[in-house]
Amino acid sequence: MEKTEKQDFLSMDRRTFLKVVGAIGASTFLGLHRTQITKALELSKTKVIWLHGAECTGCSASLLDAGNPDIMQAINKLSVDLVFHETIMAHQGIFVDGAPAGTSELNSEILLDEAIEEGDYILVVEGAIANGPDGSGKYCMYGERTFKDMFEKAASNASMIMAVGMCAAFGGINSADSDIADLTDFRGVDFVKESHSKGMLTELGIDKPVINIAGCPSHPDWVLLTLAAVILGKFSLNDLDSVLDKYKRPTVFFPETNTMHDNCPRRGYYDRGILDDDFSGEGCLLKVGCKGPYTRSDCGLRKWNNGVSMCTQAGSSCIGCAEPGFPDSTSPFYEMGEDKPLMGGVTIDTAAKVGTAAAVAGVGVHALRRFVFKDKEE
Amino acid sequence: MTKVVVDPLTRIEGHLRVSTEVDDNGVITDAQSSGMLFRGIERIMMKRDPRDAARLVQRICGLCPTAQSMASVNALDDLFGVAESIPKDALVTRNIIQGLNTLTSHATHFYVLWMPDIVNPAYRDILATVDNTGPALWKELLSRFAPISYKMDGEAITPGAGYINAIKQKKNLEEAMALIGGKMPHQMSTIAGGVTYLPTVADIGKLTSYYLNLMDFVNTSTLSVGAETWLDNTFRASSPQKAVNFVMEHLQEVVDGSLASQNFSKAKGWGDLELFAAFGSELIGETLGLPATFKFDRTGQYAEDANVGYLTYGVFYDVENGDGYNPTEFGKSGFQQAAFINSSLEKKSFNHEYITEETTHAFYETDEGLHPFDGVTEPVRTADEISYEGGSDSKYTWMKAPRYNGIPCEVGPISRMLAMGEPLTVGLMNLFKDNGYSAANSFTRMIAKMQETLILSEQLLKWVTVDLDPNGKYYVDTDLKMAKDSEGIGLWEAPRGALGHWIKSGSDSMVTNFQMVVPTTWNASPRDKNGVAGPLEQALIGTKISAAENMMGIDNTNPTGILHTARSFDPCIACAVHTIDLSNKDKEQGTFTIV
Repeated sequence: MEKTEKQDFLSMDRRTFLKVVGAIGASTFLGLHRTQITKALELSKTKVIWLHGAECTGCSASLLDAGNPDIMQAINKLSVDLVFHETIMAHQGIFVDGAPAGTSELNSEILLDEAIEEGDYILVVEGAIANGPDGSGKYCMYGERTFKDMFEKAASNASMIMAVGMCAAFGGINSADSDIADLTDFRGVDFVKESHSKGMLTELGIDKPVINIAGCPSHPDWVLLTLAAVILGKFSLNDLDSVLDKYKRPTVFFPETNTMHDNCPRRGYYDRGILDDDFSGEGCLLKVGCKGPYTRSDCGLRKWNNGVSMCTQAGSSCIGCAEPGFPDSTSPFYEMGEDKPLMGGVTIDTAAKVGTAAAVAGVGVHALRRFVFKDKEE
Repeated sequence: MTKVVVDPLTRIEGHLRVSTEVDDNGVITDAQSSGMLFRGIERIMMKRDPRDAARLVQRICGLCPTAQSMASVNALDDLFGVAESIPKDALVTRNIIQGLNTLTSHATHFYVLWMPDIVNPAYRDILATVDNTGPALWKELLSRFAPISYKMDGEAITPGAGYINAIKQKKNLEEAMALIGGKMPHQMSTIAGGVTYLPTVADIGKLTSYYLNLMDFVNTSTLSVGAETWLDNTFRASSPQKAVNFVMEHLQEVVDGSLASQNFSKAKGWGDLELFAAFGSELIGETLGLPATFKFDRTGQYAEDANVGYLTYGVFYDVENGDGYNPTEFGKSGFQQAAFINSSLEKKSFNHEYITEETTHAFYETDEGLHPFDGVTEPVRTADEISYEGGSDSKYTWMKAPRYNGIPCEVGPISRMLAMGEPLTVGLMNLFKDNGYSAANSFTRMIAKMQETLILSEQLLKWVTVDLDPNGKYYVDTDLKMAKDSEGIGLWEAPRGALGHWIKSGSDSMVTNFQMVVPTTWNASPRDKNGVAGPLEQALIGTKISAAENMMGIDNTNPTGILHTARSFDPCIACAVHTIDLSNKDKEQGTFTIV
């Protein structure tokens, strides 16, 4: 335990991390840091402002499903002051004859402005930011202003920003290809799909530390444990590169050298070349479109909803919802991604054929696995 | 005349603005409901593989993603021509997943989104005027329903037990859903042709255990008489009057046993629902002889009942009839049936062809009322055109105005309960109507929601333990070619009301049109081309702005009337703000006529 306590969990290798957290439960894990937490408490609460842009509230809903820790444990143990969160707060925006009315105890807009003014908070963004039409941001508004304006103000004063879920991190479904994509011009906080240059922070000329929590929705563990790491000072905000990948995802959850496929509950079928042709079987779902081999996430080990299940365990092909290009880069969801290069330059088509051939030849395909996933992107 | 605007209305899904005018007597004289976001999901579906709809469209909403995926798979089953052969056990599984989603959504809405309004400081002040009873009741309410991060007069308030336990129940139910759906939010199992997960015998045991966990919460927290006794005497009552009588007698007993002692604890029979039912309604409270009332039956009521209908498409497959279902006859049989109910509460048969959407007061270029199969709408393209300040004669929302046979309709639990002829809901609505109240109000909306929660939990157990066969068949194969030049209708009910998807495909089987008419577009609809307001707007106009009917004077800075009413519709704005196919804009304007 003492050994565990001394470890910086975002810089642990993924297996050690999962083993530790899995074995003792994340809430106990947080409990191990009681000394640090007590110190944090003595100083002040960590303020969190959570904004919603263009989104479905799925990431907040997912957060309420958190098990390790659950939301109340996280708030209490980490001494989080959740200053603003549209879905659960008691307050609402109130304007009387055009002016904000009352005080911050009832009026969320006053509360938000005061909190932004005070500074010293972690900004969590759920949802994409409209830039359209014509840079006005008016496709998404509330509180008598555009979300773009609100985001600019909140981001400028934040200590750091966590973009939670695909919409905030990469634009998500809002930025998917369509003949109006340029018109609505939805942006992620720091990226649009794989492109950093189109992120809203670049557009606004704001430079802040950003962590992207991928996933549609994001897994509550990914959110709360990253938040815990930030609050407990487990790494320096000036040295995020050491714990994040090039899309600013924590590598402990979105490993650079593994994919969901590696730990898929149906992995054994792939290794034996048992690839299902439809959704009525128990085999590998590669041929019905599974994007597990393209998707860097620890879903296969961590699973969802308190470890109950996950997509491929329920017989559904992975749709790659943790990859920056989602949904365009992984759709059509039910067609094999034959023309997509895998890590190492092998196409999934080749991989499947080799896998099948290997099974026929009675040879294990672990060698293939090493071949296919030998190197990350070159 | 004062302009009072709530923006954003929090504790709902998405961004909703409610703008009102309030006169010197504190009466709301005009109201506009505005959806503040434009995402264009229907446009994103264009030219895509239609099978992706059940995954992508789910991303519209994180609170009722399941309902969106169900409406989509219904439309896809129709598009692929396999609806009539979907295996019975796939239908049972879909029923269970949706049932769990509805229970989760209802519990979350009641405890986490709506009930925090009952601890508004306005009620502290009102209750302070009632000797002894008032302060005791206030203490009880705070201990149950205070939300997290809540402060009053600078003092942090401990979150309420009911609130915290409801979040735990949400988690419990989402775990149950994940068991057969892969994960939540955005479950992965429902797919054109059936479901991808084949439940096991062990799963039936686990689902039952999740159910029992839920019922523990209901029986120890929600209701003091127990769910079964309650349903035996309300849902299974021989008449609406008997259902109402049971509830009144039960409440009277609880009141008589505690009023003298000023004790409103659970030990004295005050479940959360009993507290809400007794103190939430002026009419009921006065009958019981209570010294205080929140008068939620005076908020959210229609000035003219005649201007609003109630609509439900029906939900859940009739699994007792075996494999398959008929997409065009959906909701004709089964657990919760489709119906249009007019303002006199008379039930009529439902025909989806009567549905139109208009955009006169929404930020789109066209303003014709077209059926969703033929809908043509173009969003405004310049910033200047997007303004929320123009009032009722202008464009002021991204929500379209759906109409049924030209009539704005309230959708949601009330409509479904009326269509089922549910005795308690019918009885209460008649009671209010007979006493000069509107049959629909914030109080009846919430009671119908809780009643549905109880009814559905019981039904869920039947699907799990009686209908689900682990040795059954769960999927029929579909091929993309089967969707060539086709169309599909997907009707369903989200927890918050009637949800329909309409899909068309071209010669390459790719999507050529995708239309969604969703619950909150019905409820929070703007004016139509005739200037007729949507249900939420109508429910605001003519009601009072401040707590308990302006009892402590008019306080426009704490417009509880708007908060209770708007939240009673359980709005989901992300679902409601969307657009449709621009590429069809040259198409001839529809010739759809209303019979």
